[in-house]
Amino acid sequence: MNVSPEHTHERKPEHVVQGIGVSPGIAIGPAFLFERDHHDIERYEINPGEVDGEINRFESAVQKSERDLNKIASIAREKLGEASAAIFEAQALMLRDHALYDSVVEKIGKEHCNAAYAVASVLNQHRQNMLASDSEYFRERANDLLDVQERIVRHLRRGKILSAVDHDSIVVAETLTAADIILFSRRNILGCALDYSGSTSHVSIMARALNVPAIVGTHGISQSVESGDQLILDGLHGRVIVNPTPETLKRYRRRLDRFQHLVSEHKQIVPLPAETRDGHRITLRANLEFAEELPLLKEYGAQGIGLFRTEILFLMQGRLAFSEEDQLKTYRRIVENVAPETTTFRVLDLGGDKMLPLGHREQNPFLGWRGIRVLLDKPEILFPQVRAILRASTFGPIRILLPMVTQIWEVERFREALDQAKAELREEGQPFDEDVPVGIMVEVPSVALMIQRFAAAADFFSLGSNDLTQYTLAVDRGNDLVAHLYDELDPSVLLLIKQTAETAERHGLPVGICGEMAGSPRAAPLLVGLGLRDLSASPVFLPEVKRVIRSMKLDDAVCLADQALAAPDARAVGQLLDEWLREHAPDLALLLSGDPGTEENKQ
Amino acid sequence: MITREVTVTNQAGLHTRPASMIVRTASKFQSDFYIQKDDYEINGKSIIGVMTLAAEQGSSLILVFDGTDEEAAATAICGLFEQGFGEAR
Repeated sequence: MNVSPEHTHERKPEHVVQGIGVSPGIAIGPAFLFERDHHDIERYEINPGEVDGEINRFESAVQKSERDLNKIASIAREKLGEASAAIFEAQALMLRDHALYDSVVEKIGKEHCNAAYAVASVLNQHRQNMLASDSEYFRERANDLLDVQERIVRHLRRGKILSAVDHDSIVVAETLTAADIILFSRRNILGCALDYSGSTSHVSIMARALNVPAIVGTHGISQSVESGDQLILDGLHGRVIVNPTPETLKRYRRRLDRFQHLVSEHKQIVPLPAETRDGHRITLRANLEFAEELPLLKEYGAQGIGLFRTEILFLMQGRLAFSEEDQLKTYRRIVENVAPETTTFRVLDLGGDKMLPLGHREQNPFLGWRGIRVLLDKPEILFPQVRAILRASTFGPIRILLPMVTQIWEVERFREALDQAKAELREEGQPFDEDVPVGIMVEVPSVALMIQRFAAAADFFSLGSNDLTQYTLAVDRGNDLVAHLYDELDPSVLLLIKQTAETAERHGLPVGICGEMAGSPRAAPLLVGLGLRDLSASPVFLPEVKRVIRSMKLDDAVCLADQALAAPDARAVGQLLDEWLREHAPDLALLLSGDPGTEENKQ
Repeated sequence: MITREVTVTNQAGLHTRPASMIVRTASKFQSDFYIQKDDYEINGKSIIGVMTLAAEQGSSLILVFDGTDEEAAATAICGLFEQGFGEAR
C-alpha cells in the first residue's frame, strides 16, 4: 500500500510498499518504470510527405519486434518447453502477416494516420473476431494480438525498449508477461516489483526459475515510483523501500551481504538431512508446476514432490482437452526424474482463483464449483488425467491428491472412478501401480475440524494453508479492503493444523503441509511443533527452512507451538516466532525480522 | 483451382502450433490458398486469419488452392490435416 503519493522533487521521503515476495533475495538499485501503454493510442494526422517515413518507422518497429520474439521463443524453449515457445513463434509470424503488415501500410498511406494507431485499429478488428469465438482458448489467444500490438507500439514510441531497461535496475510495472521477464533477466535486472499477479502466476514462477528477486501484488507501486528513484527490494519480506534514507541503505547493504553469505552456506546445507538437533527427521518436499523446474529439486535438496499442480500444464496446452497420451508424456518425465522419491500429483484444481474458466462465471467462486466438485461433474476431464497418472505410476512412486474435498462421498466417488480406470487399463494390458495412494487437501475448516471422518477414505492428508486460512478467517486476500485480515498465523488456523496433524498420526496416516507457510523459515519451528513432519514448498525456500530445522530441538518447537496456540492473535504469534528465531538462528533472524527498524536496535 | 474438404481431427483444434504449421507450409508455395469455414473465408497464408477461424476439433473446412503449384500445395496442406498436425486426436 503506497504511503506517500507526494511528488516533491527536493528530497523524497522514504516509504515502504508492501506486497507478496515470490522470489527471495535483496536488490538495491534505481527503479526503471516499465509502462504498458496500449490504453492511450491516439490517432493523429500526418502530412502526405511523412507517409514514407512513418512506414519506415513501422518497418523498423516490426524488425525489432521480430528480434525480440525470436529471442524470447528460444529462451522459452530452453526454460519452459516447446508448447510455450510455439506461442512466441506464432507472434513472430503475425508481424509479417499480410493481415497485419500490409493492412497497416495501406492504412497509413490512405488515411495519413500515425503507425501506432494503424496497428491498433487493424489488430482490434481481428481481435474482435477472436473474442466472438465460443472457445475460451481462442478468446484467450486474442491476447496474443494485444501482446503483438503492444510490442510494436512500444518500439514505435521509444525507438527501443530493452536498452531502456538499464542493467542493474529494478523493474517496476503494473504487470509483466513471462516473455518480459525472460528478456529482462538477460539484461541482468536486479529485481522486479509489480502491481498485480499472484505468487503462482507465470511471471512469479519465471522469476523464481531465473533467480530474479520479485514482489507482486503491491497494488499500485507503479503509481508511486518514478524511474530513477532509489529502491530497496526485499524479496524475503515482500517489501519495497522507496527512496531509503542513508541509514536504511546502510542497513540493507549489510543485510544483502548477510543474504549472500547465507546463500553460499545453502550450498553446504543442501546435501545435509533436515534433522533437528535432537535427531527428529523432517521431510522437505517441493511444490512444482512445470516439468522444467525439475532441476531445482537437486539444486535445493528436495525429497521428491509434495505437490505437483497440474493446472499450468492444462493452461499451457490451451484447453481442457489435454489428451491422456500427452499428459502421460509429461507425467512420465516428472516421475522418472523424481524416482526413487515420490511425486504427488494434485488432480486438476479449477475454479476459485484458478484462471481456467469453463465459459462460466460465478458470484462467489471460492464457495462455488471448484476442485473435486468440477472433476466429478466432468468425467471427460477426470478420466484422461487419472488414466495418465496411473500409467505414469509404473515409472516411479506416485501419490494422487484431491483438491477442495468437503464430503466423504467425494473421495468415494473419486475412488470409484479410479477403480474403473484401473479396470480399463487392466483390460487393455497397460501396466500401473495397483496401490497408488489417494490423499486429500485439507483446506476447508469442516474437514480439518472432523478429520477423523476422512481417515477411512483417504490414504494421506495435505494441509493447504492458504485456502484453509481464507476459509477459516472469511477473508479473500485478493481483496484490498480486507487483505490485512488475512494471516496464516491466526491461532484458529494453527489449532486446525494441530488437530489435523494429531488425528492423522493417531490413525497412522501421513500428513503434510503444502501451503506458502511451509516455505517460511519463520513458521518452520511452529509447524514442526504443531506436529507436522512433512513440509512441501517452492524449492528455493527449502535451504532456509532446513537451516532452521537443524538449529532447533523438537521439545522447544512444541513449547513454541503451545505458546502460539495460547496467543491472542496472529500478531502476537508473529512476535513469538521472531523472538524464537533470534534466539535459535540469529543470522537468519536478522534477515527475516519483520520490522527493519528493530534490527538496528538489536545491533 | 482445387477445392478440398478437410476435418480438424486433432483434439486441440487449430491452435497456435497447427496454425503456424499451416501458414509456414502454405508460404512455401506460389499458389494462393484460402480456407473457408461456414460463411467465412480467410487467407491461409495469414496466421492471424487462421487463428480467427477458431476451428475446433471436428470443424469441417474447405481448402481452396489456386496457382501453378496448386496440386503440390494441396497435397502438403491436406497431409498436415490427415496427420492431425502430429498431435493427439
